[in-house]
Amino acid sequence: MTGDLLVVAQIAGRRCALSALDVKSVIEIGTVTPIPRAPAWIAGITALRSQALTVIDCRHAIGLAASATGADWPTDHRAIVVAEGGHAYALRVDGIEDITTAAGEAGQVPGGFGPEWSRIAIGMIETMAGPALLVDLAALLTGPESAAREIEAAA
Amino acid sequence: MDDLLADFIAETREMLEASGGELVAWEADPADRARLDAIFRFVHTVKGNCGFFDFPRLANLSHAAEDALADCRAGRRDPDRHLVTGVLAIIDRIAQMIDAIEAGEPFPEGGDEALIAALDVSHETPTGEGLEGVERGSDGGQGAAEPALGPASDDPAATIVPNGRRADPAAAQRTIRLPVELLDRVMSGVSDMVLARNDLAHRLRQAGTQPTIDGPFERLTTILSDVRDAITRMRMQRIETLFGALPRLVRDLSAELGKQVMVDLDGGDVELDREMIETIRDPLTHIIRNAIDHGIESPSARLAQGKREIGLLAIAARQSGNTISIVISDDGRGLDEERILAKGVATGLVGAAERAGLTRDKILNLIFEPGFSTAETVSNVSGRGVGLDVVRQNLEKVGGSIKVGSVPGEGTTFTLQIPLTLSIIAGLTVDAGGQRFAIPQSYVEEIVQASSRALDFTRMGETALVTFRGVRVPCLMLGEVLGLADGTGREPTLVMLRLASGDLFALAVEGIHNHGDLVVKPLAPAVMKSGLYAGSTLLDDGTPVLLLDVANIAAQHHLVSDARARVIGAIEETADEAAEAAERAMLFTDFAGRRSAVRLELVQRIETAPVTAIDRSAARPRVVIDGMILPLIGLPDTPLTQHRVRLLRLSDGACEVLQAVREVEDAVELTHPLAPVPEDPLVEAITLIGGKPATLIDAHELFARYGEPPVAAARPRCVLPAGEWARAILAPLVTAAGYDILSEGDPAAAEPGAIGILFEDVYEVAEALGRPLPARVIRLRDQPEAPAGSPTIYRYDREGLLAALAEAAAAAAAPRNAYAAGEAA
Repeated sequence: MTGDLLVVAQIAGRRCALSALDVKSVIEIGTVTPIPRAPAWIAGITALRSQALTVIDCRHAIGLAASATGADWPTDHRAIVVAEGGHAYALRVDGIEDITTAAGEAGQVPGGFGPEWSRIAIGMIETMAGPALLVDLAALLTGPESAAREIEAAA
Repeated sequence: MDDLLADFIAETREMLEASGGELVAWEADPADRARLDAIFRFVHTVKGNCGFFDFPRLANLSHAAEDALADCRAGRRDPDRHLVTGVLAIIDRIAQMIDAIEAGEPFPEGGDEALIAALDVSHETPTGEGLEGVERGSDGGQGAAEPALGPASDDPAATIVPNGRRADPAAAQRTIRLPVELLDRVMSGVSDMVLARNDLAHRLRQAGTQPTIDGPFERLTTILSDVRDAITRMRMQRIETLFGALPRLVRDLSAELGKQVMVDLDGGDVELDREMIETIRDPLTHIIRNAIDHGIESPSARLAQGKREIGLLAIAARQSGNTISIVISDDGRGLDEERILAKGVATGLVGAAERAGLTRDKILNLIFEPGFSTAETVSNVSGRGVGLDVVRQNLEKVGGSIKVGSVPGEGTTFTLQIPLTLSIIAGLTVDAGGQRFAIPQSYVEEIVQASSRALDFTRMGETALVTFRGVRVPCLMLGEVLGLADGTGREPTLVMLRLASGDLFALAVEGIHNHGDLVVKPLAPAVMKSGLYAGSTLLDDGTPVLLLDVANIAAQHHLVSDARARVIGAIEETADEAAEAAERAMLFTDFAGRRSAVRLELVQRIETAPVTAIDRSAARPRVVIDGMILPLIGLPDTPLTQHRVRLLRLSDGACEVLQAVREVEDAVELTHPLAPVPEDPLVEAITLIGGKPATLIDAHELFARYGEPPVAAARPRCVLPAGEWARAILAPLVTAAGYDILSEGDPAAAEPGAIGILFEDVYEVAEALGRPLPARVIRLRDQPEAPAGSPTIYRYDREGLLAALAEAAAAAAAPRNAYAAGEAA
């Protein structure tokens, strides 16, 4: 892990990191066509050249509605393009900070990150730009419903 | 070196796959020379390729097989069953070795000699001892059990019925191998190019007409659309490539299981995305395995039940709209409902209390549930830990589905539905809630403006109904379906959609945009889960648009299945009443200025045809529409002044007639009494429509007189002289006159129907030298004035040239029509 490139972005006011290997590009986001009756965390689709990208609202995908946490963060006009399972997604985040290098392995912190964050986190990672939460892309892209279901099943 | 080796492996694999079917066909008929040649070529190529690499064992094996086959080809030896089995065993060994080479593993030593020795058994020895090892598989379990079958059991276990064309390997096209990823890159590049072109087109329109730019731009557009077509076809592959391996698979399986199975393959020319073919390969194999293992009985059991001892396994592929269905049916014992149910209860899939309430359909579908497998003993063939649940999962992953139907004692049918993702489909874009959506054209039956009274829009509780052609049809509001607010409040437009099951429903949308070819791309799984969308596509301006999953939306609103039968029953009653209440007709004005009407049931479509598509040279005029020659009535006696003619396409189901009209008025109800007109057989009655008289055309007499089954119009062909003038100036004229252009030297030019246009000087030379000329020739001269008695036409005499072409076309068409009529009789 040490030495790997990471893309650092702010999501819901927290510093998060994505492995640069997963990130295809960073784009200026154009018009987003909403998808009626799709889950709230899917903002819609947008076109990147001839490709259609599914736009993910990362805060909703983590399970944090802006109103629930009481704060409203600005959204970056740029989005991070990632590919997962043969589909391309554009991730909407608060802001894209930098590309940096990992300075250690991803590790856990005592007490965890809170249920929403723990679901999508691989762990905390030290980077050249300070600590960040390393995001599990696959978990992020399954959306918050899966977590809700797990909780129901456990109850 | 590694590249060479990879190529060698890939090429050998491809040939193995292709020759699988040939091998079994050859086994069925060892005397078949063409098959023998194909297999000989295969081993010969392998042997040759081995020379580059150090594979002595492969070389020895292929050499032995080549020798034996060469003897057969030279007539020194009869290709008997032992030889066939021996060669098959060697080819199998080659396949295994190729696998080992690719994996970089050492192949177990020994065994080759026995295989080679098996080939050496001369044909005088009826049962070679050396063959035991090779043949054990095909005799196991069968030889002892059914001595009564006598000579029949000596027959090969599987036979193939070649269905449809089989490509002659010698005539195969030259091919090269390319990584799919590269194709994808080219394809997305072309898509980007199309978007860039559209952007440019938009800007050009803003800038106004600029002749110097518009010309090249048009050319660019044409080229681009050609390239796009070609690229799309590059990804497509005939399903034949998948079918090719099946006869061999069936042969081996049936031999192993002591069964006799005949394969019937159909629809090999259906084209499918390459990757989709790979996706369905395993499910298909699995179902075939199941059918042979569990479905088809042993020959003795079949005879005891009065069936033919050879079981039939039919595999057919069909394309319908944007789905491909593959049907695999066997005539075996069928699924045992009781046993499935018992198993379902035993494995806990069904509660003991529920079992009484299950329909047969539900019970049969249990076989797709995880953890279900009916085979009592896990056999070598079908019990490999993967069940039909995995098959279903794999198909659903690509948006497909699987269904099963079965009649006890008569057989089982599996139907696989797979989408043509990544393919281009014709679609319609519509508006709802201020947003655009696309609907596959294949579902669209008709578009109806709701403003017309005939629709009779009613709300029954939460359900909306419309009356369409006298039938009450459920109507969905697209805005409501999608949870969007109705943006405009205008009267909706209805799109009548017909599902594959035959159910009809209306979808109310706010507006229709246009239709065209849409490149459909898959959506992310989380979006697919909503069940409303089948994919996404990009409009010309690059905006993404969602493609509606019509079948699923209908299913979510219970417009298919059980509920449907009830509703339809009720609808049909009201339909009858409605039909009695008012018959409907299409009102139009013909060229004589008469107000006429024809019953609406007869009207298939309203066509608009260019005058050039009309041929009036014969006694009865005809018109070419969509490549079909159809009879045409109602033309004025005077020449037509306009460029386009409106035509009503009338059909009685088999025959078609086109009625030329000056103006189409409307679809009307025949509410006034019909007054018969006995003196004119072509008129059924005179009636009042909108207070004015109109004649109703007598359909019976019309079709009796003029009806003709459509004849496909092979466009007449014309051979043009070489040179820039002919290509640039003459060709467009000839094409517009309805001809296909052939270049000189094209083999089709020698066909009797082709017409030749020649310059007078060329014609004279050709005639003098006795060169072959087309049957009909139009001779052109360079000077406006004709030399006396010369049957030539001045090369800029447009009317003269067109007349000559029309005459020649009529003369060419006449014998063909006669032929078609003779064939129909």
